[in-house]
Amino acid sequence: MTTRREVLQGMIVSLGGASLLSACGGVAQVIPSSAGGMRFFSEEELQLLSRISDLIIPRTDTPGALDVNVPGFLDGLMAEWANAETQRNQHRSLRELGMQLGRDFAEVDDSTAENRLASLDAAAFDGRPSQYSGYRSWKGLITQAYFASEEGRLQEQQWVAVPGRWDPSVEI
Amino acid sequence: MTDFDAIVVGSGMSGGWSAKELCERGLKVLVLERGPEIKPERDYVDQLRPWQEKNLDRISEEEIEKHYFRQYPGVAYAVKESNKHFWVKDDEHPYETVEGTQYDWLRGYHTAGRSIMWSRQSYRMGPQDFTANKDEGVAIDWPVRYDDIKPWYDYVEEFAGIAGNNDGLEQLPDGVYQPAFELTNAEKSFKSKVETAFPGRNVIAARIAHITEVTEEQRALGRTNCQSQNRCHFGCSFKAYFSSLHATLPAAERTGNMTIVHNAIVQSLNYDPATNRVSGVRIVDAETNEHRTYTSRLVFLNASAIASAMILLQSKSEAFPNGLANSSDQVGRNLMDHISGAGANGILPGFENQKVFGRRPSGGIYIPRYANITENDKPYTRGFGYQGGASPLGNAGGQIPGIGKSFKEAHGAPGPWRINIGAFGEQLPNPNNRVTLHPSKTDKWGNPQALFDVSYGANEHTMLEEARKDAVAMLAAAGCTDINSNPVNLTVPGNRIHEMGSARMGEDPGNSVLNRWCQAHDVPNLFITDGAFMTSAACQNPSISYMAFTARACDHAVKQLEENQI
Repeated sequence: MTTRREVLQGMIVSLGGASLLSACGGVAQVIPSSAGGMRFFSEEELQLLSRISDLIIPRTDTPGALDVNVPGFLDGLMAEWANAETQRNQHRSLRELGMQLGRDFAEVDDSTAENRLASLDAAAFDGRPSQYSGYRSWKGLITQAYFASEEGRLQEQQWVAVPGRWDPSVEI
Repeated sequence: MTDFDAIVVGSGMSGGWSAKELCERGLKVLVLERGPEIKPERDYVDQLRPWQEKNLDRISEEEIEKHYFRQYPGVAYAVKESNKHFWVKDDEHPYETVEGTQYDWLRGYHTAGRSIMWSRQSYRMGPQDFTANKDEGVAIDWPVRYDDIKPWYDYVEEFAGIAGNNDGLEQLPDGVYQPAFELTNAEKSFKSKVETAFPGRNVIAARIAHITEVTEEQRALGRTNCQSQNRCHFGCSFKAYFSSLHATLPAAERTGNMTIVHNAIVQSLNYDPATNRVSGVRIVDAETNEHRTYTSRLVFLNASAIASAMILLQSKSEAFPNGLANSSDQVGRNLMDHISGAGANGILPGFENQKVFGRRPSGGIYIPRYANITENDKPYTRGFGYQGGASPLGNAGGQIPGIGKSFKEAHGAPGPWRINIGAFGEQLPNPNNRVTLHPSKTDKWGNPQALFDVSYGANEHTMLEEARKDAVAMLAAAGCTDINSNPVNLTVPGNRIHEMGSARMGEDPGNSVLNRWCQAHDVPNLFITDGAFMTSAACQNPSISYMAFTARACDHAVKQLEENQI
């Protein structure tokens, strides 16, 4: 079983980034590099989004957000779908999100990162506070990207392309 | 000697029926379609899987700004990257609105028109809808009554395939239905509680144009049962929902009597004063800009309420200086749509241990009109129905709290159900709500652009305010929590894509365009059976009525031809 960090490392390398992850007592230290294959995300943004994606949709007995390359998918989405204004807004919201989670969010251990994100998520869904609209937007995109993937749709959601029938009430 | 017995202008919802009915009665029929050909096996994308879609199937924002700046905001739920070829490009098909007004003209120019993109809700008009104008002294009386149309509803429903229940409601008559999509348990509970709390109200299964028990007649056309994919806005490889492309055009085709010409934009109808007949249909080819004229004994306009009115307005002659068949000055007036923008949603507790299998297409529940039928204390006239449904909240596209394993598994885990209902209300006819020809602006083929001047009146505004309150009250009565109801945001005219009334029927040629057979008072070989004929809008989704009136008009036209009265 690969660890989340290994997945994250593989992800970033596969995305073309030359970042290195070094393990040190359970702390992931991400060393950014100027080289990057991203079209939209900076290295820093990619690290942030990757860690958030992994925490929101982790690998369980089915692939997680990083396994299906959600950050890479969203990089393409932002580069191809978003216009310049949306791109600016999304960059800004990532900056704000990074500050809300703490400047050391990339370096803290998994449980600290999880606690911070869980607190932020709880605040963001307590009503609809505007300062967390950026987070809600990214959480929505991460979720939609994951469940649009073949693994997310078929393995996790057990989606059936052609159901062939309608059953209005199935006991869980 | 004419080129054809009949020319049908438009191949959409009603044009397909004109083609079928006239061809099956032995007429040689030319169908003129202004757009290109759609071939299901080439152009449908319903079998595209989510992971094969580009950018979550979103059209890029730059492309929306350039090409879909009216279509996309109008129908964002249906206009996607993979099916954008079903929708017109706004920069290629411009129109104008009078200052201070708005209009959403949402269209598809291709074989079968909007019958491949519609939302398939199919409700008969009721007896009250044909008498409301007369009873209230509004506009003019319909020249027909429900009983005149009833057999034609039976006829078209059997062929089209409508899933629904016979609910025994006078205002929403029963029909020829295939089995309905069963309500979810949450919806059944909502039904029971609402009907108990409000004895004059009913919650029924939506009636939708989907095959659920395929007939031999439908099978012979290559159609089969709905597979519960809910990919209908992308076409249907099973041809399970009704469209011209799945049903009426193939039926016309197999007679050997139909000729269909694509990219043929009708510019005008030629009028022969000696015979008082339409003598030809003049078109411009959308691809070559070549002009041609086709002749026939009979012409059916099925171009849509707006385009049919514009064709008449463009057909000026000495006898009809204001447009063909327009001696009443009613062509282009009384333009109607339905009104939405009021509703509510809430969480329905008690069903957390249940989910659904399959994806039910179109609607789940319908609340037929009760205002001014079973409840007569309203500060407005006419009424509205609600469309809606209840389904598990799931992960709500990421808009629920939580992270990690439990969030990831929320889509299939025990959890709350959400119900939503939204009103579709009747707009009153008003002669000042109209489409005219823009005095100077034209499209790239030199055709005048449409100029819309449509506004809603006090009745529409009051009705929706009340519809919102009623929605909240019903959700509360059903035991909903977290009830959410936004302030009324009345839809832009045209946005419901139910364009009606621009060449209304009536008994008096002085104040109506068409007689009781959808036949022009002024010009006997001209029929209009798209939404233009509607003398009032009722509140039901109108396509099934266009179908019934079209079949009836075709029957009448053929009889008149046979008797040499046309």
